[in-house]
Amino acid sequence: MIHFSNVTKFYERQAAIKNVTFSIEKGEMVFMTGPSGAGKSTLLKIIYLSEKPDEGSVTIAEWDLSKLKESSIPFLRRNIGVVFQDFRLLDNRNVFDNVAIALRIRGMLDSEIQDWVMEILKMVNLRHKADSFPQALSGGEQQRVVIARAIVGEPTILLADEPTGNLDTDTAAGITRLFKEINARGTTVVIATHNRELYRNTGRRVFRIDSGNIVGEEIG
Amino acid sequence: MYLLYSLRLAIQSLWREKWINLLSVLTIAAGLFMITLTFFVVYNIDLATKRLPARFSVMLYLNDGLSEQEAGSIIAQLKKNNAVEQARYIAKDKALEELKGVLKNADYILEGMDENPLPASIEIKLKKESVNIAGVKKVAAEIKKIKGIAEVEYGEQFLNSIHSIKGMAKAGSLSLIIIMSAGVIFVCYSTIKIAFYRRKEEIETFKLLGATRGFIRAPFVIEGSVLGISGGIASAAAAFVFYYVLFYKVTAAIPILKILVFPFETFPALPVAGLLLGIGGAVIALGRIRFS
Repeated sequence: MIHFSNVTKFYERQAAIKNVTFSIEKGEMVFMTGPSGAGKSTLLKIIYLSEKPDEGSVTIAEWDLSKLKESSIPFLRRNIGVVFQDFRLLDNRNVFDNVAIALRIRGMLDSEIQDWVMEILKMVNLRHKADSFPQALSGGEQQRVVIARAIVGEPTILLADEPTGNLDTDTAAGITRLFKEINARGTTVVIATHNRELYRNTGRRVFRIDSGNIVGEEIG
Repeated sequence: MYLLYSLRLAIQSLWREKWINLLSVLTIAAGLFMITLTFFVVYNIDLATKRLPARFSVMLYLNDGLSEQEAGSIIAQLKKNNAVEQARYIAKDKALEELKGVLKNADYILEGMDENPLPASIEIKLKKESVNIAGVKKVAAEIKKIKGIAEVEYGEQFLNSIHSIKGMAKAGSLSLIIIMSAGVIFVCYSTIKIAFYRRKEEIETFKLLGATRGFIRAPFVIEGSVLGISGGIASAAAAFVFYYVLFYKVTAAIPILKILVFPFETFPALPVAGLLLGIGGAVIALGRIRFS
């Protein structure tokens, strides 16, 4: 599903990731861990095509990124749900609209969107907050809105960048359960985190990243 | 599809910045109204010059002592010229009669003259397509060669002036129309650019969620269209007020202005022009949307 081969990415001559090679199979749930600035976010950004690798090759869901036309990027991105570290919620839209936008972009009709979004909000336990605005939500609730937006389009890959960053332990556990549920439905899940509790005893692969390199792989 | 959603986004954005947008609409309307006035002036100059061939004539003064038969032969020769529409013989007596008609109460000027001083002449009307500086000069030169013609007169200076006025008016108005159109496009461009920057973060999120260029552009193009068409409608309203005041109020005081003609096709053309310029401004403002 995701293949990196000798991938390097520079930021102002400084390599953010160096010669990274790994593969993630369809339906897997993997974790990427490491200290801040290790290159976890850069790896995710390359997967969701926000950054281009300077060297090496990347294949996502059979799409070779080096041969991908710019006009095709939106269509690949629709296969990738992203839980952004900074949420990227639209403050002037309510919870429903924040989730629905992912479907509107896909050209779905309002009548179809209504039921589907409510269904997803129910899954993340936010149905009762559909009319609330992001500012009125707690950090955990905002995080669940972002997850709902990421999965509402039924992507084949779900990426999460520090999804439990500022959350308390109970909320973080709830979010982790949600990712497992999503993965159980067949979605490939990649989570970048420096929170050990998130992957401990999960039995999933964990890539340890440091200074832009994959320095180890273990089972969590 | 997403067009309905884009329309909703555009309306929300237009409403959110209603005062700035109103200002833009008024500026666009002012620009389009200036274009209308320019077009009105050029349209009337053009009409006036189009009417010129019907009134324009070339006078041929004949040698003294030429018989009517000889004049008839000259007319026959003239009619062979492709540029000549009609030729009318004016005998000496008839010329004097016509002059007296023109002088009316001032015919005392002619008192004391023993002899009719006016020569016999032929007035020729040229075909429409020959009434231009080059055409008339060519015909005059050809006619001069005919035996029995003393002088050819066609108001060369007048013809030159009319044509240079027409040329200057056309060049000036075209420049003004281009400048004003560029101004209207610039207003739309700036308004849409500001709206785009204001929603930059939202657009970045849309891109990351898989929005296509069409999805991102559509609300802004709709905004540009609405601004343009609103400016067009406002300028059409201003043009109507101008028309009403000029043709119903001013002409009552200055009747000569009744010869002016207002091109009615301007009214529907203004919203269409506004729409196209609005879309143009929006498209330029959005530029090339990049995804990576």
